[in-house]
Amino acid sequence: MKNLNLQTKAQNTWCPGCFNFVILWAFQEAIRELIKERKLQKKNLVVVTGIGCHGKIYDYLDLNGFYTLHGRVIPTAVGIKLGNPELTVVGFGGDGDTFAEGIAHFLHACNTNPDITMLVHDNQVFALTTGQMTPTTEKEYKGPSSPEGKKTNPINPITLALAAGASFVARSSATHKQHLKRILKEAIVHKGFSFVDILQPCITFHNTAPYLSKRIYDLKKERHNPRSFDLAFQKALEWNYSLDQKSRIPIGIFYKKRRETFEEGFFQLKKPWYQVQRKVNYRKLFHH
Amino acid sequence: MRKTILIGGKAGQGIAMTSTLLGKIFANAGFYVFNYRDYPSLIRGGHNFNVLAISDSPVFSFEKDYDIIVALDQNTINKHKKYLKKQGFILGGKALKSQKLISLDLERILSAMRLPPIFGNNILIGYIAHYFGLPLADVLRVIRREFGEKADVVSKSIEFAYGIKLHHQEKVRKKRKKKYFFSGNEAIGLGAIAAGIDIYFAYPMTPATPVLHYLAKKQKEHNLLVVQPENEIAVINAALGASFAGAKTMVGTSGGGFCLMAEACSLQGMSEVPLVVYLAQRTGPSTGVPTYTTQGDLKFALNVGHGEFPRIVVAPGDAKEAFLRTIEAFYLSQKYRTLVIILGDKHLGESHFSFDEIEKPRVKSRDFLIKNPSPDYKSYKITKDGVSPRTVPGIGPTVRASGYEHDEEGITTEEEFKVSQMTEKRLRKIESIRKEIARLDPIKVYGRGENLIVSWGSTKGAIIDSLKKLKGFRFLQIIYLEPFPWLQVEREIKKAKRVFLVENNATGLLGKVIREQTGILIKRKILKYNGRPFYPSEIIKKIK
Repeated sequence: MKNLNLQTKAQNTWCPGCFNFVILWAFQEAIRELIKERKLQKKNLVVVTGIGCHGKIYDYLDLNGFYTLHGRVIPTAVGIKLGNPELTVVGFGGDGDTFAEGIAHFLHACNTNPDITMLVHDNQVFALTTGQMTPTTEKEYKGPSSPEGKKTNPINPITLALAAGASFVARSSATHKQHLKRILKEAIVHKGFSFVDILQPCITFHNTAPYLSKRIYDLKKERHNPRSFDLAFQKALEWNYSLDQKSRIPIGIFYKKRRETFEEGFFQLKKPWYQVQRKVNYRKLFHH
Repeated sequence: MRKTILIGGKAGQGIAMTSTLLGKIFANAGFYVFNYRDYPSLIRGGHNFNVLAISDSPVFSFEKDYDIIVALDQNTINKHKKYLKKQGFILGGKALKSQKLISLDLERILSAMRLPPIFGNNILIGYIAHYFGLPLADVLRVIRREFGEKADVVSKSIEFAYGIKLHHQEKVRKKRKKKYFFSGNEAIGLGAIAAGIDIYFAYPMTPATPVLHYLAKKQKEHNLLVVQPENEIAVINAALGASFAGAKTMVGTSGGGFCLMAEACSLQGMSEVPLVVYLAQRTGPSTGVPTYTTQGDLKFALNVGHGEFPRIVVAPGDAKEAFLRTIEAFYLSQKYRTLVIILGDKHLGESHFSFDEIEKPRVKSRDFLIKNPSPDYKSYKITKDGVSPRTVPGIGPTVRASGYEHDEEGITTEEEFKVSQMTEKRLRKIESIRKEIARLDPIKVYGRGENLIVSWGSTKGAIIDSLKKLKGFRFLQIIYLEPFPWLQVEREIKKAKRVFLVENNATGLLGKVIREQTGILIKRKILKYNGRPFYPSEIIKKIK
């Protein structure tokens, strides 16, 4: 089973040494292990990707997939889940994708709790469009669209997700591949909206690797209790995504709680719709 | 026999409810009925009115020429009395003032019956039904059908009204066959149900909202799902996701919401995930005149989304067509993996129409899914007709959908040969669809004569009704606007002596499309763009 092939024929076009390779590896390993543990079936797994460097992962995974529009990973993923509640749906988005173009969908998914997983390749930069700032880019960042430096502070996706009611909020880093694999497994298995912000240095436009590696620590090792919302919020505030020199950066599961999913609220969602058969009586339809 | 009744009052007084109920009573008695709804964008107060045209021959429009005005407030009388016929009368409560008023002491009746003011409407309905001599038992049957468990108290007020001494009576003869009576929006909902809709996604927007409400109400009865996401962008992307997963989906909106959906329409074109869109036009641009009608979005529907991709645009002309064409929309979208836009408007959606019969649809509802795909299944297989056989994730083989250009397997490609090959594959569907819709009556011609009126959509009603008084005129209704049936349209126009374009917009959009598709310029244009539908008399006057 270890050799379950998830590779495709597609030629990989990420920059050599890109941390996306680590995310790809961690996801494939997580999937292989979950299949081995009988927590997942390959045929029932669907990935949804947005637009940006992360989106190319669609081509590199031999899995059911929907390569959707920039910013629209979440509504597409929610739709897939509503279309067939037996599917396991994993969305991949970038930070521009999820927190700029698609922020409304993100906040509503945190609130409505569809049983999907949202993995954000958060490299704090628009890389595929050559290095412009995104909502999670630090203040003063100089890019081609902000030669005088970014004027505003970054947003903190972890506090946003918590405030909006997400039932699984985690952060991992592409610099910590074993940790990432473990978090991905937990996120996919969690029933409800699972959000993982994956910190990812962009080696070409925004190389945070040296910064991150010095400051990251594992919440689990400090015995963080992910059932406590208050503690989760405190931990989330430890780092505000600006590249300041003082902060430590917690990674791991901030918060996790089982609550009713969006689909569980609908009596109609019992089986895949394509299996539902109906017969229509036209006269009865019009109550004539 | 032809009677026109205006029912007016403030928003919140149950004007539309009263009018449609009266319409149902007459349709049940075998009369043809058309109901027009006119209301501003507010919830309480203002002025709402409905116009009911009742006839013993088919009627699909109304004239501002009323036999009866049912007034729930003085404002209704002030605004509309100039359109009251000489022999006409006004019916209303005691507090109203008019020489033509037949007043009922509604307050006293209701307090005696211990009923709230809204039940006064039922007294008025009862009085009118009695005035025309409709049997009480028949009226009560309609009330029971419409109100179910709550029918008793309504019936009681109707029965009471039948006891009131009439000022006069004009008995009409009941017809043998009761008529179907429903609105365009109900028809869209019914058509979707008949086509086997699984999920309807929508964000509220007038005048498409009634479909959202109608289908939401029918969820249990027909085991379907209605979802209201956070915005129109979520609506259409979720619909594409659900459709990819195997659900038959439709979304509904109006112009502004459709603007937000434009990018995902383009995604549909590339990903070839089936989708039906109900676009109910309202007066624009921008917020425009939200509760009034237009045909201003034809070019928008024909061109929505960037890039070149096949789409189908179908414009029903009345509620029965809305029902049948919605079934076709689902069939075509599933079969050709394409975007189908049902192009309606406020006038089609919120007016009620009556019919003798509802014909069986010409297509059978199917999902066109391969249930046993082979392991080497390819999501975008290149085929002669351009249609790649479709299956869904969860069955076995890898299933892909992509907005990026892709090869047969759905893997991204930018290779020049493959880009043109896949573009051609998608565009080949247009000719396949054109062949298919040729047998679905993409155009219809009504009446006889050497002269021709050309139009589309909800203007059909007023044009059909005006034909009776126009000698030597045929009417060409273009129902499928994309792929455009240019050959048939060209033939009809070339046969005609004088040609008139009739459209409910300011620039004659269909005329532009006809010129683009056939090279023919129609110079005579009858256009109306004040948010109101045509009255037949306006068309007749402009032509003569």
